[in-house]
Amino acid sequence: MHPLIRSALGKGDPALSEYNSKLLLRAYGIPATRETLVQSPGEAAAAAEALGYPVVVKACSPRLMHKSEAGAVAVGIQNEADLLKAYDRISAAVAQPLEGMLIQEMVRGSRELVVGLTRDAQFGPCVMLGLGGVLTEVLNDTAFRVAPFDTVEALDMMGELRSHAILDNFRGQAPADRNLLAETLTAVGRMALENEAIAEIDINPLIIDAQGRLTAVDALIVLRG
Amino acid sequence: MHQTPDPYRDIPLYPLVNPRSIAFFGASNRFSAMGTNQLNSVLSLGFKGKIYPVHPSEATVLGLPAYKSVADLPETPDLAVLVLPTAIVVQTLEECGRKGIRHAIVVSGGFKEMGPEGAVLEQELVAVARRYGIRFLGPNCLGVVNPHHLFNVTFAVFEGRPGFIGLASQSGSLLTQMFRYLEQFRIGFSAGLSVGNEATVDIVDCMEYLAACPHTKVIGLYIESIRRGRAFIEAARRIVPHKPIVAFYAGGSEAGRNAALSHTGSLAGPDRLYDGVFRQSGIVRADTLTELFDFCWVLGRCVPPQSRRMVVLTHSGGPGAAAADACSRNGLSLPRLNGTTREKLRPLVPSTGSLNNPVDLTFSKDPLEYFSAIPKVILEDPDTDGMLVYCFAPPKNMQRIMESQGLSLEDIDKLTEAVAEEIAKRSSGLAATLSKPVIGFTYQSSEMPIIRKLLENGLPVLPSPERGARAMAALARYRELAGKIGNQAG
Repeated sequence: MHPLIRSALGKGDPALSEYNSKLLLRAYGIPATRETLVQSPGEAAAAAEALGYPVVVKACSPRLMHKSEAGAVAVGIQNEADLLKAYDRISAAVAQPLEGMLIQEMVRGSRELVVGLTRDAQFGPCVMLGLGGVLTEVLNDTAFRVAPFDTVEALDMMGELRSHAILDNFRGQAPADRNLLAETLTAVGRMALENEAIAEIDINPLIIDAQGRLTAVDALIVLRG
Repeated sequence: MHQTPDPYRDIPLYPLVNPRSIAFFGASNRFSAMGTNQLNSVLSLGFKGKIYPVHPSEATVLGLPAYKSVADLPETPDLAVLVLPTAIVVQTLEECGRKGIRHAIVVSGGFKEMGPEGAVLEQELVAVARRYGIRFLGPNCLGVVNPHHLFNVTFAVFEGRPGFIGLASQSGSLLTQMFRYLEQFRIGFSAGLSVGNEATVDIVDCMEYLAACPHTKVIGLYIESIRRGRAFIEAARRIVPHKPIVAFYAGGSEAGRNAALSHTGSLAGPDRLYDGVFRQSGIVRADTLTELFDFCWVLGRCVPPQSRRMVVLTHSGGPGAAAADACSRNGLSLPRLNGTTREKLRPLVPSTGSLNNPVDLTFSKDPLEYFSAIPKVILEDPDTDGMLVYCFAPPKNMQRIMESQGLSLEDIDKLTEAVAEEIAKRSSGLAATLSKPVIGFTYQSSEMPIIRKLLENGLPVLPSPERGARAMAALARYRELAGKIGNQAG
């Protein structure tokens, strides 16, 4: 079991925070946003400076599973003044204790995927790849594989999406890094196999930028109590 | 007993599907009883082994000497068949175990499918089986059919021929009701197993058996729920490179899921997940029950195409265009024929016809050429991977021509038959020598002389252009899936 999970279970957390979820993703080779967890406005300003504006500010807690609805997210922060305002606004909006505030690079890309994991009673850990973004539920364009599986299977999974064309040259943007996406899908399966305590994983969105690079922009790892 | 290892006969299920002798419980001389019907099925197919009916009071059952108890049997049979009231099933299986019987088919219901009390009873049944080392099919199943062994212990009398489709089904009645259905296309089961509640033999065990069975060319699965998920995927991936598997999953829609719940008392997974599971397993998924058998039919009869480039041959515009349309909807392409092929075809096609794709004769001058010389040219084209051919041969027209030539009625019948035979021979020989798939499609009955002959000679003739095209796409999909698994193994 990964130390991050052991520690979260020890504290009785229902999930890993976004920050810790991404630490675990990176440990499995999955690319995630560059970000810093800070405890004060001063640290926030220094972190944003180091990352480079624009940045995103998010409240970070293992008990905060729906951040946007809670008013716990500010995107497209262009300068330090706006950053400090956002910091104050989010601190006031979220009542519960936080791990800290997350200062995150702002990733741009018009193509969004969702990668997830559920556990099925018959098949065990099942990895899902889907079309992300606001139409995720409406289009319900998803493909599943049962872990473990290899990259050949992961590439086949991409072809199963109805909208698989967005992974190719798309409106002047470079094709997505399919090999890295395949590695990501197999890694998500491996995470679940190696960590029985993981109940569900949501990487939503996984953004494909104009150069075809992948970045996990938000992530949630739910634990089994 | 055989001595050398035999991957087929050594399969644990072998005696269950190929018994040399049977103890039969639950048959009497009352024809309304289910057990009597099932024993009657065994008898009417002419089972060659010994049958020992066990009955508490009857001296004979359906003309066979009956035994009061399994302990009285003169030998230990390979198999026990139990069609008994639920209450005495556990005790009867125990008596079978004491006699040394190691295989059983438990037809009786009233177990897990009936709720918690039934589930407890089923656990008792499994405990008895474990104690005596018994493998049994069921409970709550409709049994087994193995026409190659003249063994049919289902509720329905077998009407058909020994064939090449091995079916494992979570619906029992489906198995029995397809006997006649397959026979109309001149195909049949190599073996069929109704798995019922899958207490000690599940769908994965059946797949392993059918994979080893030399009569089975293609495995069909009717699935409401897969219990051993990982084992299912791994078994399928071992089998698929050698033998295709087709599955129909009933449980995908919410309505289907409710039916599955009340039917075998198991939970069904979501439809999209099963899509992924089947692809990962290399299994060709059939969207309908009709497709399950269509796909088994062509996968058992045809070599899969190298790729998806198809030619449609027709002498009638509408059905040909419909086939072409169905091809493109199903991911098959219809490339233009190359110049050489068109030159070779020109003398064979009337001037009113078309050398595009579909190749449309508009009028078939000579049915023999339509089924031999023309397909030969088309299939020899290296850019053609397979062919769909429209089959419509009204015997009345042919007979009228013969009549005009002064032939007697008797001669006309004979000649019609001979022409049909010749056509069928040439067409089936052609597909075999060129190792490319040919699928016919028609709106004519399978009883029409030429259609019947084509079917008897092994050409699949599907009952519509759409079904023909879907079946061709399934062949292509099988090749792609098997190829994918081959790449992963390497």
